[in-house]
Amino acid sequence: MATPLRRPAGRGRRPVPGRGHALAFWLFTGPFLAGLLVFVYLPIGWSLWLSLFEARSTVTPTEFVGLGNYLTMLSDGDFVRSLGTFTVFALFAVPLTFALSLALALLVHRIRFLRAFFRSAFFLPTACSYVAASLVWKMSVFNGVRFGLANTVLGWLGLDSVAWLASPDPPWYWLVIVTVRLWLQSGFYMILFLAALQNIPRVLYEAAAIDGARPGWQTFRHITLPQLRTTSTAVILLLLIAAYQAFDEFYNLLDKATWGRPPLVYLYNLALGENQDYGLGSAGALLLALLICLVTLLQGRFLGFGRESDT
Amino acid sequence: MPAISSREWDRRDLLRAAGGIAALGALSACGSNTGRGGGGSGRSLKQMYHAYGEPGTQQAAQKFAKAYRDADVSVQWIPGEYEKKLFTALLSSDGPDVFEFHPQIHMAHERQIVPLDDILEDAKDDFNEADITSHTIDGKVYGVRMIDDPQFLYYRKSLLDKAGIEPPDTLDALIEAAEKLTTDKVKGLYLGQTLQPIQSPLIWSTGAELLTPDNEIAYHTDEVAEALRKLRRLYAGKALLKGAPTEHWDPASFNQGLCAMQWCGMWAMPQILEAHGDDVGIIPWPSSGGPQGRPAVYNGGWSAFVSAKAKDVDAAKAFVKWLWIDQKEFQREWCLDYGFHIPPRKSVAAGAEELKSGLAAEGVELFNSAGIFDNPSWTQSMITTLTDVMANAVRDDADPEAELDKADRKIRRELDKIFG
Amino acid sequence: MSRVSHMSAAAGGGRAARGARGTLGSAGLYAALLVATVLFLVPFYLIARNALSTDADITGETWTFFPTDLQWGNVRELFADPAVPFARALWNSLVVGVLHTAGTLLLCSTAGYGLARIPYRHAQKVFYLVLGTLMVPAAVTFVPTFVLVSSLGWVSSLRGLVIPGLFSGFTAFLFRQYFLGFPRELEEAARVDGLNHWGAYWRVVVPNSLNFFAAIAVITFIGGWNAFLWPLVIGQDQESWTVQVALSSYLTAQTVNLHLIFMAAAISILPLILVFLVLQRWLVQGVAQTGIKG
Repeated sequence: MATPLRRPAGRGRRPVPGRGHALAFWLFTGPFLAGLLVFVYLPIGWSLWLSLFEARSTVTPTEFVGLGNYLTMLSDGDFVRSLGTFTVFALFAVPLTFALSLALALLVHRIRFLRAFFRSAFFLPTACSYVAASLVWKMSVFNGVRFGLANTVLGWLGLDSVAWLASPDPPWYWLVIVTVRLWLQSGFYMILFLAALQNIPRVLYEAAAIDGARPGWQTFRHITLPQLRTTSTAVILLLLIAAYQAFDEFYNLLDKATWGRPPLVYLYNLALGENQDYGLGSAGALLLALLICLVTLLQGRFLGFGRESDT
Repeated sequence: MPAISSREWDRRDLLRAAGGIAALGALSACGSNTGRGGGGSGRSLKQMYHAYGEPGTQQAAQKFAKAYRDADVSVQWIPGEYEKKLFTALLSSDGPDVFEFHPQIHMAHERQIVPLDDILEDAKDDFNEADITSHTIDGKVYGVRMIDDPQFLYYRKSLLDKAGIEPPDTLDALIEAAEKLTTDKVKGLYLGQTLQPIQSPLIWSTGAELLTPDNEIAYHTDEVAEALRKLRRLYAGKALLKGAPTEHWDPASFNQGLCAMQWCGMWAMPQILEAHGDDVGIIPWPSSGGPQGRPAVYNGGWSAFVSAKAKDVDAAKAFVKWLWIDQKEFQREWCLDYGFHIPPRKSVAAGAEELKSGLAAEGVELFNSAGIFDNPSWTQSMITTLTDVMANAVRDDADPEAELDKADRKIRRELDKIFG
Repeated sequence: MSRVSHMSAAAGGGRAARGARGTLGSAGLYAALLVATVLFLVPFYLIARNALSTDADITGETWTFFPTDLQWGNVRELFADPAVPFARALWNSLVVGVLHTAGTLLLCSTAGYGLARIPYRHAQKVFYLVLGTLMVPAAVTFVPTFVLVSSLGWVSSLRGLVIPGLFSGFTAFLFRQYFLGFPRELEEAARVDGLNHWGAYWRVVVPNSLNFFAAIAVITFIGGWNAFLWPLVIGQDQESWTVQVALSSYLTAQTVNLHLIFMAAAISILPLILVFLVLQRWLVQGVAQTGIKG
């Protein structure tokens, strides 16, 4: 409607927005958009509807319960606890992965000999799935009996075996959960940091050396770290997004435990477990989605991500 | 009241829309089915089993299916998370026609399964009475028992002798025995990772029940809370095997010498005898909690059900009748040739020579003297709720009383839903 | 490129001044790297060791560093195990991985191009619709998506496994960002030659972007192969299991045969290890490009 007024003037040969491009635009984006509407937006709408019903073992329920499911979820200690679990998990996993991948990148970046070898060694675990890694962790590395690797090493040191995953007290299971992620993810983010490190202009270091800055902590603090700002924020955001979706390792490592159950595992049990409660499951999923939206928006505000869509 | 009627109207619109989408789904489901089955007789049935641990069982199940003439039966063998897979499959348009499970009332109330009285008829009297009553819901029998699987404690006689102890007959004695049997290589006792298998026996052994005959909560007593406290002390100590790679149903931990006693089932007896010879004894879960306490054996097992959503309910029923009622030779094979299971049919059990001597005979004896069967009113979500109690009050350090209160709320809600 | 920067660094730092401290420092560097490498490779060692052992070797009272008698028969035993159709699961994963990759590339790249380069008055609105999905990770909405897909009757089917995952707002967003930076001159030359948007896209834009496509393809394939939650939810029927679901089923199975479980793990990661070693250049490039822009 307002097109003629808003048409940018004086942009030379650049094609102008108009009817002629509509067909081309829909040809390119139409199929994708249709899929997005059907497989992303429609399910969300449907579950909005389901969440207002008593919907056990059915997806076409008839018993309207209003906001009852939402109230049940919010007053359900276990659901709230699962959000707490996620928070603890993110507090451990995100900074640790960040630090380890940055440290690996700095190490690999500084060497000349065998660089490709070390880079590959750290990057290789990225090829493994969470399921395969959980399997190795549960059945071999942190197996609770004497023939697990960790317990074998403890045995060599004359210490008792530890049942790593059996009990939340002491919370050894966090060690297992967090190391799986560290192993799988650090190499990936190391590559990001390596690429960024290579893009830092050498001149900066030379100038700093002339100004008397000593190589090591000082140059790292005043040159490397500020130069990595964009990459660092991107890595933190990616790590957080990945943490939200934590499911695989919890599901495979902590079977039938009531602790260490992040939101997705809780929702899986609710909606696809014994009760098949799609009403409660939908309400929980929507609450979680809402929460993540809020966090993402807040984060965008703090880290200055919102503006990226302007580019 | 215009407000209400307009809301009603909206709802009906929504429902119609949903129905439309569901119909669309049904249409495309038909499209996807064409590639399947399609054998000589034209009828096809899907039969679902959980994955049995004993070698040879899957081949046997397939052999039985193949031997059936009146339909093409395809066997689905589900390793791991059987309940979840089954419930989701039953909900879908493409679920199993015949499946094995435990009797649970909500499945009958929600019309997921159909009554089987008409195929049982004459054979009813040939079944163990408890196997009929535990499958009777509102006067109708919903499942045909395939196998009875008592669960009890296996122990290594030689290790008990070496420690100078008798087989324990109270919970305190069991805990003490576990502690005495523990060395730096061998743990005293293994009860599975989740403790789920002993949750009902623990309650029964205090003299309590899961539910009253009128389906009210009966598990919440002082004795049960006390027993949970004792179990917590055991769990926090060093005598219990924790973090083993296999669950309680697999005798591997016991057979590999990781523990001196293990809660396991009758099914594993052949493997256990092979590993330890006659160095094995069995006892029930010992009495816990004072004078009204009693030893308890859990009489689990599996039963055949027919899905109400089966494309041809009568064909599915006919197959169940053929396999689990008529084919006594197959029933005998299923019960005795792989693991040990007690045949629910009196006539089959009478010919089960394997179960008439030695440890197996002791197992049958425990099944008869101390065994308690499933209560169909005790549903899967109630089982899960109690498993959460075990997790919080025993594996974690929460107060049993508070955990039982929490469980009460959930289970009462469930009971209200079922019985109104 | 990196060699050049090193030379300049060395020149700037003054080679002679560093001397002994530099050698000591780099010895420390290499020591740290070696320790880290050993830790990172231990899980691979465990997989190989256990996959080629008997259960008795694995569970023995003393640690066996590597089986002397390699059990290659475990491979045959794994594929012969009737309880888990592992060969079928491998095949499913391959099909799903390929279809997932091809579909995602096609749909997301065209959408990204449309959003970046075709001037249309509602383009901004459509872009917001795509951005909106970025805020909620797809995994979080698996319950609603399952409800929809099961109503379509797509449970345990190939289309159920593949189709819902094709519409990744994130990938479309990456393509849009990439095409924004694509040199306009190339396209305009094509337009002068009389090609429309569609023709220009396929004849000029795609052939000049193969590196980016390859990078996204490798990452998408790995993501598809390793995906677990959705295949778990949708793969109710064993015939539709992917490798990850099959692997996970070993963890909850009735009997645990450690040697078979680890052989299965080994076989499940082998294809990706090969992809990694062969295509590492694209992969590294892809990670660097996509990660930073995301």
